[in-house]
Amino acid sequence: MYYLGLISEYLKNYMKTRLTYRADFWVEVISDLLFQATNLIFIFVIFMHTNSLGGWSENEVVFVYGFFMVPFGIFSCFINLWGFSERYIVKGEMDRIMTRPAHNLFQIFLENVDPPALVGSIIGIIIMVISGSNLGLVMEWWTIPAMIILTLSAVAIYTGIYTTLTSLSFYSDAPTGILPLMYNIQSYGRYPVTIYNRAIQVLLTWIMPFAFVGIYPASLFLHREEMQRMAFLTPVMGIIFFSIGLTAWNYGVKKYRGAGS
Amino acid sequence: MNELLAIEVEDLRKTFKVQRNREGLKGAFQDLFKRQYQEVTAVKDISFQIPQGEICGYIGENGAGKSTTIKMLTGILVPTSGHLSVGGYVPYQEREKFVKNIGVVFGQRSQLWWDIGVIESFQLLRKVYQVPEQDFKKRLDELVERLQLQDLLSRPVRKLSLGQRMRCELVAALLHNPSIVFLDEPTIGLDIVVKSEIRDFLRDMNREHGTTILLTTHDLQDIEALCSRVIMLDDGRIIYDGGLEELKNRWGTGREVLFQFGRSTKLAQLEAWTQQLPVKWSAENDLNAKVWIPLEINVSDVLGSVVGQADITDIKIIETNTDDIVRSIYQSGSAVKMDNPETEPEKDKVAHV
Repeated sequence: MYYLGLISEYLKNYMKTRLTYRADFWVEVISDLLFQATNLIFIFVIFMHTNSLGGWSENEVVFVYGFFMVPFGIFSCFINLWGFSERYIVKGEMDRIMTRPAHNLFQIFLENVDPPALVGSIIGIIIMVISGSNLGLVMEWWTIPAMIILTLSAVAIYTGIYTTLTSLSFYSDAPTGILPLMYNIQSYGRYPVTIYNRAIQVLLTWIMPFAFVGIYPASLFLHREEMQRMAFLTPVMGIIFFSIGLTAWNYGVKKYRGAGS
Repeated sequence: MNELLAIEVEDLRKTFKVQRNREGLKGAFQDLFKRQYQEVTAVKDISFQIPQGEICGYIGENGAGKSTTIKMLTGILVPTSGHLSVGGYVPYQEREKFVKNIGVVFGQRSQLWWDIGVIESFQLLRKVYQVPEQDFKKRLDELVERLQLQDLLSRPVRKLSLGQRMRCELVAALLHNPSIVFLDEPTIGLDIVVKSEIRDFLRDMNREHGTTILLTTHDLQDIEALCSRVIMLDDGRIIYDGGLEELKNRWGTGREVLFQFGRSTKLAQLEAWTQQLPVKWSAENDLNAKVWIPLEINVSDVLGSVVGQADITDIKIIETNTDDIVRSIYQSGSAVKMDNPETEPEKDKVAHV
C-alpha cells in the first residue's frame, strides 16, 4: 500500500512538472511512435516478398509485435535506468536516495517515470485487436487474465535483466556500454525464434530471455501449439530474472562508494 | 547497548580501492587490459561516542575522512570493519527503518525537487516518511514560522536563492522530527545573516527537542556558536576529541601586544622595564615593538610597567582565536601540544585599547 501510494504521488508530481512543458510531452510521444512505426513498416516490407516467416503469417507476426509493445511500454514508463550511472553514481544523487525510507531501487524507478511511453502500450493493444480479428481469433474467458499475467511477467523479465546490468555500475568506475547492445538484442524477441539458428535460440530463451517478452507469450493467444509450453513458463522466468536482478542490485548497493566529498 | 548514547562508533574503518591510471597513451592501453589498484584508507579505526542531546562538531581538512564517516553513520556506505550503532540501529543493515529516525542535510546537494513548489516537495516527503497529516501540519507550521518561509512555500525550488533554499532544505530534513541530525557543511556559501539564522535555529531545536546534532563544517564560527564538543580528524584519525574551551586553553599559548611609540624606544630598554616578567620582546624598528605574554601573566601587569615610561601612540592586544588554533593543529597534524612558542599560531583577532 505504501508503495502504491508513492507511485501515485510521484506520477502526480511528474504531471505537474511536465504539463508545464506541453510541447515536450507530445514530442516524446510522437518520436516514440515513429520509432515503433518504422519497425512495423519493416515487417510489412518483409511480407511483401514472402508469405510466411518460419511458418508464421504476416498477421501473426504483427500480432506478436503488438503484444511485444504492451509490456515494453509499461517497462519504459516505470523502469527507466538510462543514465543511472551518470546521474546517481557519478553525480552522487544516490546519497540522497539512500537516506530515505523506501527501497532505493524503487525510488530510482519513481524518480524517472516516463508516462508518454504508455502510449506505445495502447497502440500495441490496438494492433493486437486489428491483427487478431484479421486472423479470426476469438476472445476467450481467459484471454484478459492471461494477457495481464503474461504482460506483468514480461515486465519482470525486462526489469530483471536491466537491473542486473545496471547494478554493474556499482563495481566499475566507468559507465557501462552494455545497455544499448541489450536494446538491440531485445528486438530479436518479437520475431518467431525458430527462424534463428540454434545458438541464438538458446541465448534468447535462457540467457537473455527476450523471447519471453514477445513471441512465447503471444503464441498462447495465437494457439500455436509448439510454443505453448514456453508461454506457460513465462511467469516462472519473470520471477527468476526479477529475483536475480534484485539480488544483484542489493549486493551492488553495498559496494556503493559515494561520490566526491 | 547504552540507551543514552545516540551514536556509538568503535574501530571504524573504511578502505577504498582506487584505480591507478598509468601515464600517456601507452599507459591507457595497458590499463585496458590490466588495471592497477591502490588501497586508500579514508577512515582509520576511529572510535567515539556521542550522548543524546549533544551538538558535536566534526572538523578536519578536506580529505580527512569527515564525509566518509558521515556517510557510514547515515547508512550510505558500508564500513570495511568496525562497529557502529546510531540511534540503536546498525545503519547499513536496516537502512529503511533506520533513516526514519535521522535527518540529513548535505550542504552541497539538494533534497528538494527542482521544478515543483517547495510545499509540494514537503508533501511528497511527508508521504515518503509516512508522517501523519496532523503531525506534519503542526511540525510544518512550527518550522515555517521559525525560519520565516511563508512567502517561499509556493515558489519552485529553482527560483530560490541559496539562503532561501538552504532554509527549505533544513525543513525538508526535519519534517519527520528525527532525533539525530547530520549536517554536512550546512552553512557553505551562505551570507552572515543566513548563517547566524541557521545557527540560532539549530541551537533552539537542540534545546527544545533534545535533538542530537553532528555537524561538519569548515566555518569554525559554526563550531563556536553551536558545539560543546569537537572531534578533529586528520588523515582518517581522530587527533582531538573534547570540549572547545579545553582546546583553546591547551592551544592558546598566550597573547601578544603590539606597541607603537612616539619616540624611538630601544628593545633593551623595553626588556629592562619588564625584566621581572617572563615575557618575550621583539622589535621591527625603534618605533614598533611587540611582546608575547604567557596565559598566566596578566596583560595589565605588562602594560603597567611600560605605559608610564614610554611615549605610546597605539596599543593592540592580539588574542588567538579558534581559526588559528585549528590551523596550527592541521599544520602540525597532531593535537598534542608542543611547548615551543615558535609553533604558536598566527594572530589576527585584534582588540584596540
